[in-house]
Amino acid sequence: MQETVTTSALLDPSHSSVSTQDKSSTGGHTSSTGPQPSKPSITPVSAKSRNPHPGANFHRMRRIIAEDPEWSLAIVPLLTELCIQHIIRNFQNNPILKQMLPEHQQKVLNHLSPDLPLAVTANLIDNENYWLRCCMQRWPVCHVAHHGGSWKRMFFERHLENLLKHFIPGTTDPAVILDLLPLCRNYVRRVHVDQFLPPVQLPAQLRPGDQSDSGSEGEMEEPTVDHYQLGDLVAGLSHLEELDLVYDVKDCGMNFEWNLFLFTYRDCHSLAAAIKACHTLKIFKLTRSKVDDDKARIIIRSLLDHPVLEELDLSHNLIGDRGARGAAKLLSHSRLRVLNLANNQVRAPGAQSLAHALAHNTNLISLNLRLNCIEDEGGQALAHALQTNKCLTTLHLGGNELSEPTATLLSQVLAINTTLTSINLSCNHIGLDGGKQLLEGMSDNKTLLEFDLRLSDVAQESEYLIGQALYANREAARQRALNPSHFMSTITANGPENSVG
Amino acid sequence: MNPPGSLAGLDPNLDEHLSTQILAPSVHSDNPQERIQARRLRIAARLEARRREALGEYLDGKKESEEDQSKSYKQKEESRLKLAKLLLCGTELVTNIQVAIDIREIHRRVEEEEIKRQRIEKLENEVKTSQDKFDEITSKWEEGKQKRIPQELWEMLNTQQLHCAGLLEDKNKLISELQQELKTKDDQYVKDLKKQSDDICLLLERMEEQVKNVMKTFREELYNIEKAFEVERQELLASNKKKWERALQAHNAKELEYLTNHMKKVEDYEKQLNRQRIWDCEEYNTIKIKLEQDVQILEQQLQQRKAIYQLNQEKLEYNLQVLKKRDEESTVIKSQQKRKINRLHDILNNLRSKYAKQIKQFQEENQSLTLDYKRLVLQFKELQKAMRHFALIDDEKFREIWLMNEEEAKDLIARAFDVDRIIHTHHLGLPWTAPDFWFLKNVGPISQQPQKSATQIVEEMLMHTEEEEAEEAALEPESYLDLPKQISEKTTKKILMLLCDESGFLIESKLLSLLLPLEQNECYLLRLDAIFSALGIESEDDLYKLVNFFLKYRAHRLSSSLQIKSCSQASMEKASMEETSMGSELELAEQTEMEGAKEESLVEGEKEEEEETPPSPWDIHPNDVLKILEAFVMGLKKPRDSRAPPRVQKNMRNNSKDSEYWQALTTVIPSSKQNLWDALYTALEKYHIVLTQRAKLLLENSSLEQQNTELQALLQQYLNSKINSELQVPPTQVLRVPTK
Repeated sequence: MQETVTTSALLDPSHSSVSTQDKSSTGGHTSSTGPQPSKPSITPVSAKSRNPHPGANFHRMRRIIAEDPEWSLAIVPLLTELCIQHIIRNFQNNPILKQMLPEHQQKVLNHLSPDLPLAVTANLIDNENYWLRCCMQRWPVCHVAHHGGSWKRMFFERHLENLLKHFIPGTTDPAVILDLLPLCRNYVRRVHVDQFLPPVQLPAQLRPGDQSDSGSEGEMEEPTVDHYQLGDLVAGLSHLEELDLVYDVKDCGMNFEWNLFLFTYRDCHSLAAAIKACHTLKIFKLTRSKVDDDKARIIIRSLLDHPVLEELDLSHNLIGDRGARGAAKLLSHSRLRVLNLANNQVRAPGAQSLAHALAHNTNLISLNLRLNCIEDEGGQALAHALQTNKCLTTLHLGGNELSEPTATLLSQVLAINTTLTSINLSCNHIGLDGGKQLLEGMSDNKTLLEFDLRLSDVAQESEYLIGQALYANREAARQRALNPSHFMSTITANGPENSVG
Repeated sequence: MNPPGSLAGLDPNLDEHLSTQILAPSVHSDNPQERIQARRLRIAARLEARRREALGEYLDGKKESEEDQSKSYKQKEESRLKLAKLLLCGTELVTNIQVAIDIREIHRRVEEEEIKRQRIEKLENEVKTSQDKFDEITSKWEEGKQKRIPQELWEMLNTQQLHCAGLLEDKNKLISELQQELKTKDDQYVKDLKKQSDDICLLLERMEEQVKNVMKTFREELYNIEKAFEVERQELLASNKKKWERALQAHNAKELEYLTNHMKKVEDYEKQLNRQRIWDCEEYNTIKIKLEQDVQILEQQLQQRKAIYQLNQEKLEYNLQVLKKRDEESTVIKSQQKRKINRLHDILNNLRSKYAKQIKQFQEENQSLTLDYKRLVLQFKELQKAMRHFALIDDEKFREIWLMNEEEAKDLIARAFDVDRIIHTHHLGLPWTAPDFWFLKNVGPISQQPQKSATQIVEEMLMHTEEEEAEEAALEPESYLDLPKQISEKTTKKILMLLCDESGFLIESKLLSLLLPLEQNECYLLRLDAIFSALGIESEDDLYKLVNFFLKYRAHRLSSSLQIKSCSQASMEKASMEETSMGSELELAEQTEMEGAKEESLVEGEKEEEEETPPSPWDIHPNDVLKILEAFVMGLKKPRDSRAPPRVQKNMRNNSKDSEYWQALTTVIPSSKQNLWDALYTALEKYHIVLTQRAKLLLENSSLEQQNTELQALLQQYLNSKINSELQVPPTQVLRVPTK
């Protein structure tokens, strides 16, 4: 529109130009969404004055220009606007942002391209909207909630994750990641990597590996299959709180080899050193990585007396009793709140040592021993520990070959304990009698909210009754959550009456 | 269960409250304490009420929610339960798959373990059997080595081969079995994979379904809840509308009533107003009349005021003119005064300058005067010197004159005595004795016996004691015995000895060394001399004072106990001494006149010896000596100091005795004697007169005889002379006349 006006002003007052002007004016008429409501009222006058005298050109033209209804200051781009445009265009070479007024900043940010190099934008732009656009451009699915609700953090975390996933030791330049470090160090809080690529092996080496059987290839190539050493990265990230690693290779397809999935001792040692040096780490997860007892102990040893570590997840590994003993030691030497050893090979002795640590622990809130094999001995030990423990709220003992003796002890625990809110005993052989005993224990409990007894040979009747008790507990908990003070007062008011009645 | 319980809990509270209210002290009570109490209670009650209200409201609200808002609440509750159940069931449904897989996994693991165990057993068995076989084969090799016969060897080799083949076959069989197993496992794995993917698919399906279900039910429930709320709102609206209408009607009725009331009131007020108006009119009239009268009076007053005003105006004008004149006068006076002031200023300036001049002059004068004064002082000093000189000369002269006069007087007295004696012996015939008078022996100007210095006295004393010892005679009162009688010589001596022994520190060490070779008495004397000089004891009086002091101290110590008193004693002593010193000042002045010159020589020139007796035990304890001395010195110093200035005038001579002396000299001849002399004189005079008369008469007689003779001669002569004859009147005739 602006252009048409200028052209019409410059060109001779030919019919075409007039017509364009008319069109535009009529367009303004029809749409009537123009910024100036006065425009349509003036334009017909000018059009009229022009139309009957097409011949008179010069003076008339000048007059027309002077009275040009289309022309107004609003149409002329402001100098600030032009400047902003220029800044946007040259942002890569000359990033100016902080010196501008807030509204101009906003404008610039809204028009910046998401493809700008990170070196320019990383530490300069904090605007979430810009990073939102960056994220949306790169990844179709974005769960910003997984990244603390910050798009910028999400962008850097996922960017780093991508780089790490596709980092091939020996071939990829480590500078790729180390260059990113100063840019992302203030924003990355969580590193989640679910694959570590092994170094590329020459096909010549691969072939003998293929031909020879599985036994020899591990020995031969173990020194060469170390993965990316996280030490530098972890030391560089000053706000790192969560480390979620899976030493795994995805989409290997027909190139499958056992040694692709090796978590070597060197990896283990470097990882242990890295997490030991990282004092901000709160959550550490190392799953599906074939961590055996020795490696687990190496890692746990590095985590002893860690200042802030709260969650340790070593599920889906090969940890046995010795690793469990290490974990038990860790329980008494850290502030661990969540311990997950699901799907490992912990047996009764390991469970017993864990129970021993648990008996006097005041930090641990959740313990997961799903799919282990602690059996009744371990189960009983844990139940004994729960009689003194005042902190644990969640206990998962699903698939542990537990049976009636554990159930009897647990029922006693249920009567005493007031902190446990969730117990999972699914996939055990509790049996009918065990179910009844658990029901008895449940009748005295007011705090338990979840009690999973599926597929554990418990009679349906007792399971139903337990479900009823749980429902009552849940209702009570809801009341407590809704108005804690009133609930307390009613309890106190009811207390004496009940005792009297 | 809850509400009744809480209500039951509240009820007693309420009762209690009511009772307290009834019993509570009234706010309108007379007693202020009670009122305060009452207010406090009221505040407490209000707080209590508020608290209960909050609690009750809550309870009421809950009840209401259960009863009144039952529809929405029920709906909410219902949908909540439903949704919770749905969620629970849904999660269970979803997790069921996981649990199922878990249990399958467990079963698989158990089976796997079993199979593994079996396989291991089998392998072990196999190993054992194959080992046996192998051992057999190896043992046969040994055997084979011993075999020499080729056939046998061949046979054996064959059998060995067979055995080996068997072994290999077994192994191969095992391998193939294992491979078979592996293959089945592979198949199994593929199957499991497929199953798991199926499971995952199922899981996903269920999850999706669940999500859909949940969403649907949530939406439904939301819709239901909204509907319930809508209905409730409608109901509430309707009921509120009804209420509103009812209230409106009531309000209308009330309004109507109020209107009628109002109308009635208006009428009433109108009537009242009319009445009031009439009354007001009357009142107005009366007031008007009164006011008019007032106005008249006021007009009169106004006239009066005006007259007064005019009068006052005139007065004021007159006053003004007077004041103006005065003002003029005052201006004139002011100018005069100003002039005067100027003049006075001039004068003041003149005076100032004069004053300054005079100050200068006086300063000069002062300077000159000070110079004069200095000169005068010098002159005065010279004068003094001259005076002193003259005084000495005067003294000398005085003494000479005195001696001369005395001599003369004594001559005269001697003559008088001679005369007396002559009178007595010659005239009266009485024996004459020369009168013995003190002043007759006096030579030189009279003065008190020059006061002896302390040492002199000591010397004397020592001498005396010596004498005493030698003679064993009672002591003779001497000149120094004009001191208090109670001080015996012995005690004095003892005290002095004691002093000498105790206060050796006052003596210079040089002197002590010099004293060593001397005799005991001399030694004592010198020591005492030194001590006295150290203590400042110069005169006899001082010495006696010291002795007295010692004695008093002792007396005091004996009578009462000790030092505190002694101090006071000392102070008393001081006072007394001061008195005495004042009294004795004149005396001292007299002494010192003489002493000045003599003293030193006297002091030096005296040495004595002395025997000594140790101080008796009742005497002053040696230890006290120092204290006494200290007190004494303290006491002595003061009077000495105070005495210092008047000492200058001590040279003045006391001439009171002089007149006495001279008087005495004049009365050498007593009056009785004089009377005698007078009588004698008169008698002698008479006698003398008689004698003289006789002598005269004799003389007369003789002269008369002589005259007679002469006259006779003359007469003769005359008579004999020629002249007689020549004279007309003869002398003989004249002579005859005077004789007549």
